[in-house]
Amino acid sequence: MSKRAVDSVFQAMFLLTDLRVILRDTAPVHELDESQQAIVGRTLVELEEQVKVIRKEMVG
Amino acid sequence: MKCGLSLDVRDIDENSINIDPIQVGGRLTADAMKAVIAYGDGYSVCDNCRKPNRLDMIKSPPIDAFHRDLAAFVNMDEARVVPGARRGFQAVAGTYIQKGDPVLLTALSHYTEFLSVEAYGGIPLEIQKSQENIITADAAGEKIDAVRREYGRPPKLLYIDHFDYQFGNEHEVKGIIKVAKQNDIPVLYNGAYTVGIMPVDGRDLGADFVVGSAHKSMASPAPSGVLAVTKERAEEVFRTTKAQADLTKRTFGIKEVEMMGCTLMGVTLVGMMASFPHVRERVKHWDRHLSNGTMILDALLAISGTEVKSEYPRKHTLTRIDTTGSFDTVARTHKKRGFFLTSALKEKGIAGTIPGATKVWKFNTYGMTDAQARYTAKAFQDIALLNGLPVSP
Repeated sequence: MSKRAVDSVFQAMFLLTDLRVILRDTAPVHELDESQQAIVGRTLVELEEQVKVIRKEMVG
Repeated sequence: MKCGLSLDVRDIDENSINIDPIQVGGRLTADAMKAVIAYGDGYSVCDNCRKPNRLDMIKSPPIDAFHRDLAAFVNMDEARVVPGARRGFQAVAGTYIQKGDPVLLTALSHYTEFLSVEAYGGIPLEIQKSQENIITADAAGEKIDAVRREYGRPPKLLYIDHFDYQFGNEHEVKGIIKVAKQNDIPVLYNGAYTVGIMPVDGRDLGADFVVGSAHKSMASPAPSGVLAVTKERAEEVFRTTKAQADLTKRTFGIKEVEMMGCTLMGVTLVGMMASFPHVRERVKHWDRHLSNGTMILDALLAISGTEVKSEYPRKHTLTRIDTTGSFDTVARTHKKRGFFLTSALKEKGIAGTIPGATKVWKFNTYGMTDAQARYTAKAFQDIALLNGLPVSP
């Protein structure tokens, strides 16, 4: 159980980091082009998967 | 939002376009941010440190290979990571300078170069800058001759900044190194504003030592940097300890004296390592960054009364500008006085200028996207127009 939770916590933080960098690249107005929006969309889907794993592993 | 009880979250680069002269080249890549998350604990790179117990020999993470890559990156023979360029200066100074030795710096040298000379009792002497704020090979030759006359020997060492911190001007590095070599003076190339943002070939330049600042120009956490040297100089600067304790008879393996043993044992080093593939790639695109910088500068120069104090056309994204005849005329009557410009820039999401500065100030456009560069250029002109300053089309 614990290894999976650890991996997912790191993976989730890394996915959030990718979002952080998009915020930097689009500052200050944060108007994302289509390609950036697509990346954010895919990243959020992956993030939700990781959150599900964390919930399952650590909360039950 | 807080990191813990009293530390505010730092989100300048998420919410603004940062033009701080010293910050832009050190902003982390996504991979470096991830490495910082994973390796934040103290001695985090030491999990697999094995005999002979030296940082540059650790294989997991691949720190040994990274050192070889670093040396190759600047085309030198050996490299070590150091806690900032200043510690690279210090290691070289500690190896060669003795009390009373004349050492050549320049009229545009960074203060840490002076401190490194002072620390070992050297006498710092400056090569004069030209009226255009350039250090020339001729001026270096004249100063070397003057030192010979006064001290009866050549300078022990010469430091030359490829681009200086005051104007971001390019100096005659190759010519200066050639003159130094003709006088048997070893040369330290200060690449704080080059290594990591534009290609640097230490061997082609003829440098004995190449120093870079990773937190300034290699997208790394501070303090971090690189000291790369020729094979001949490596034996001197990276000499290993010979000390033996008198009571316990302990010896200290192959620790390097000038490095004080190991240098960057955690988050700084992994930050450098994680960014390195991106840094190695980004130096190939220096022209794009320079082009964006020029576009922004030209937009500023289109504001009546604005002058550039750096060399022009620009060869670097760090620029010194004089807005005494433009923004400062607004400051004289504005209710916010000199702070109006910083305030107006902040409203437009541009950060990194010195609060209150409306006369002579510096900015650095490195790392912007093209869209951010266009936005910044327009923002300066919009602020000018809003405050009644004429702007040329």
